[in-house]
Amino acid sequence: MTDMAGTTPAVDMREINKSFGAIQALHNVNFRLMPGEILGLVGDNSAGKSTLVKILSGAYQRDSGQIFVAGKEVHFKSPQESRDMGIEMIYQDFALCGNLDVAANMFLGRWPRKGIFIDRRRMEADAEAVLDRLKVKVNSVRQRVESLSGGRQQSVAIARAISFDPKVIILDEPTANLSVMATQQLLDTMLELKSQGVAQVIISHRLQDIFEVGDRVMVLKRGAAVGERLVKDSSQDEVLRIIVQGDGAEEALSA
Amino acid sequence: MADTGVTRLPGAHGGPGGTLTGFMRTWEFGLLVFMAATYLAGVMINPKFFGDATALFSILRDAARFGVIAVGMTFVIVNKDLDLSVGSTMGLSAAMFALAFDRGFYDLQAWQAVLVAVAFGTGIGLVNGVLVTFLRVPAFIATLTMLFIGRGLILGLTSGRNVAFDADKVDGPLFFLIGQTNALGFNNQIIILALVATLGGIVLARTRWGYETYATGGNIQAAGYAGINTHWVRIRAFLFSSWAATLAGLMLASQDTGATSQAGVGAELIVIASVIVGGASILGGRGRVIGSVLGAILLVLIDRVLREGFPIARIVKIGDREIEILSMARLPPGAVPAFLGMILVAAVLIEPWILRRKLIQRFVARLRGRPMPMVEIESVAIESMQTTGTSLTATEFHARGMTKLFTYRESAAVVFVIVLWLIGFFLRPDFWGNLDNSFNLLLAFTEIGIMAVGMAYVLGNGDIDLSVGAVLALTGSTAAFLMKKADMAPMIAALLAFSVGTMAGVINGFLSTKAKLPAFVATLGMFYMARGFGAWLSGGRQLSQFPPQFNLIGRKFYQVLDYWGIPPAPDSAFYALSRAVSTQTLILAVLAVVAGVVLWRTTIGYMVKATGGNRRAAEYAGINTDRVRFLSLVFVAMCASLAGLINIAWFRSFGPQAGAFRELDVIASVIIGGGSIFGGFGSVFGALAGAAVITLLRALLSLQVITKTGSFVMPQTWVNVAIGLVLIFAVLADIWFRQEKIHRRLPFRRRAKHPTGGDT
Repeated sequence: MTDMAGTTPAVDMREINKSFGAIQALHNVNFRLMPGEILGLVGDNSAGKSTLVKILSGAYQRDSGQIFVAGKEVHFKSPQESRDMGIEMIYQDFALCGNLDVAANMFLGRWPRKGIFIDRRRMEADAEAVLDRLKVKVNSVRQRVESLSGGRQQSVAIARAISFDPKVIILDEPTANLSVMATQQLLDTMLELKSQGVAQVIISHRLQDIFEVGDRVMVLKRGAAVGERLVKDSSQDEVLRIIVQGDGAEEALSA
Repeated sequence: MADTGVTRLPGAHGGPGGTLTGFMRTWEFGLLVFMAATYLAGVMINPKFFGDATALFSILRDAARFGVIAVGMTFVIVNKDLDLSVGSTMGLSAAMFALAFDRGFYDLQAWQAVLVAVAFGTGIGLVNGVLVTFLRVPAFIATLTMLFIGRGLILGLTSGRNVAFDADKVDGPLFFLIGQTNALGFNNQIIILALVATLGGIVLARTRWGYETYATGGNIQAAGYAGINTHWVRIRAFLFSSWAATLAGLMLASQDTGATSQAGVGAELIVIASVIVGGASILGGRGRVIGSVLGAILLVLIDRVLREGFPIARIVKIGDREIEILSMARLPPGAVPAFLGMILVAAVLIEPWILRRKLIQRFVARLRGRPMPMVEIESVAIESMQTTGTSLTATEFHARGMTKLFTYRESAAVVFVIVLWLIGFFLRPDFWGNLDNSFNLLLAFTEIGIMAVGMAYVLGNGDIDLSVGAVLALTGSTAAFLMKKADMAPMIAALLAFSVGTMAGVINGFLSTKAKLPAFVATLGMFYMARGFGAWLSGGRQLSQFPPQFNLIGRKFYQVLDYWGIPPAPDSAFYALSRAVSTQTLILAVLAVVAGVVLWRTTIGYMVKATGGNRRAAEYAGINTDRVRFLSLVFVAMCASLAGLINIAWFRSFGPQAGAFRELDVIASVIIGGGSIFGGFGSVFGALAGAAVITLLRALLSLQVITKTGSFVMPQTWVNVAIGLVLIFAVLADIWFRQEKIHRRLPFRRRAKHPTGGDT
């Protein structure tokens, strides 16, 4: 595999295999993500999308294959290690503590301190700065997250991811729990991040979202990569057909 | 369970094929083998007792009552609920029957008296059911409170006396037949157990009601979507267990022709352990009536083997003659509940750690060189069941100025403190406000306050510790034992006792994190173990006359300074202060300030609240939630140990009742003070304000009120009933007002149905 146009891929996963007992969840999957690219990962349930990104985020370990992050081979044993390499995952349910306020959630587990005490002032200022960068407005960073709407909660989750200054963000079904307006806001946020050079993987069942902001679509079926299209050269119908039927040639390869 | 015949999970539907080899692979068969082994052990230990057929019948007779309750409890546990109130329901049933039937009280006919008992049982079952379903109170906290309220009612109604009645009233003999031995040579209660077990077994395994129960326990949300009225299914199960407990109480009243205020104490421990040993899963969805009944017989058998003792011969030298003396070596009081507590914990661990992991099958497969069977998919972490039913979102208040004060979760407690104090002042202006009473209040406050500080951390984590009162007693009795029986120096005794109490917390923490038990199950086991070991050490007696040096912990600060030879100058302000303030108050003040600041504004405090708010999110963020929870459980045990040392120093003696009902006070304190039973909230300041509410309430309830015609004081036996009610109302208020504000939406609830059961 050679680099496209001389740039190093943000993530390059090669020949990934993973099985749970007798079930082969991933079969020789190749996955590549360029800096600043938005990649849509689609497929039926149990196609292996979640398994693939969980391997990337360190929640699962691969059975075989190689992973390169920014050209460097990595072996993640925990989500913490992938985070250290600049990979952030945003979970479907946002993984926020509803009882804590916005600022405390954005710095969950790494609250800034002054001496032995939490430095509230710095934490709130930093939180506001990150939210500004995302162009997201919340009334106050002292608001409890529970009291926010679903879209705002997601903004907090994204803001938290951003505050790590990641190179790659993985969004797992980000629009599943959102209203139409919140979805539009999320897509705007994603484009904003793209303009800042962050590579993003979006797992979604909603093809229209991927086609609105995505650069490339990758289709998984029964644990194998069965097709790949550039958004500008393809249509939702074509991708849907690949999801259902597979892409002739590659299907034969993986079978 | 050392038996390798246990290779099959007890499921909803009978054994495979009904063949003999099929039967031999069931859990129930394993129980029978284990039972036979236990009985043989009993025969070896004490051939005089166990070698006789009457022994078998007497064990079955006593097991009958527990077996009957276990049948009802199986429905509750299969539903993924728990009913801790059955022991007190059983006692209440016996007491109600006795009061209604006895000539000295209401002198009703036996059938009328039975109706009274059944009415009470129905009431308890309904209240339990409604609390856990419609009102979303976690089952263990609702039924635990009901346990305490029931016990209080029994004491209040009987005034702690035993009621023994004549069996010769008109239809009395018919009723008393229940508890008698029949012509075939065994007790009629065994027939009742057989009938109840058959009926319960058929209902659970073969009827729609039973299938609904398994569905609700397996996945309440799916069952609800499928059109099953899960509220009714769960209420029904609570009714069954209450009725079964009522029946057991009547059986006891019939057998003993009387009732004691201690009837049924601890029965819930034996019954729950029976059902779990019988193959039911604390995670719900699994369990069979026959297993539960066999479990009850096995546990009563173990209980009896432990209690019976074994004959020993001692050689005593008198002068130069050796005389052999035969006597019975018995386990000391407290040992039995301690063992039963351990059995409960062990039984709960079997399911997730041995059955789901298929340890036995894997072992057998390895021996035979066959491929390993697949481990069952790890179910959702079992500790998540603690939050069954609810993870409501707290509502944000928007307010400014003065009204903003009331948006703090602690404000209710502060208002209550002021109101309660004013009520006391209004009732007894001559006495309430004076210094003596105020300092007495402060001392009573200290014990609850110290434990509430620790409990604020544990509840903040979303855990609970039901064993604080028992750990208090354990530490107290250990210290008393070491000073009195082992003649240790006070300092060393206090340190050792403190370590013992801390160990209890370490075990709690280990069980709730590494062994992944729900904290309430782990600490419920510890509740019995710690109290049992405490009673064991003190021999169930009062221990007093400690070295004066030790008692200083419970004295005025002045006496401590005086003891060390540095009394303050007699006319200084410090002198006045040190004469007014007790050592324990100082200890509490230091503890509260340090722990309060740590919880409020340090990383540790934020980690506690993040863990309680959303454990998974906290873990993703790199917080070691297991360590946070472990340390909190250890910390609360240290607080309880400290309270135990202070308790015996203050009273200058250890009493077996030390710390009884304290878990109720402490949990209520934290919740009144803004904590949530579901975790994520609470502060030390709030917990202390809540402790002040409880202290004032207890003082008010025992206040002698002067009226025009004389004076009135509430009978003290009723105080615990009142405190139990307060705890339930505090939990309800937390769920319904602080968290949900659902009272505002009541008219709309049918239309905009709130999603129940947030799957955290």
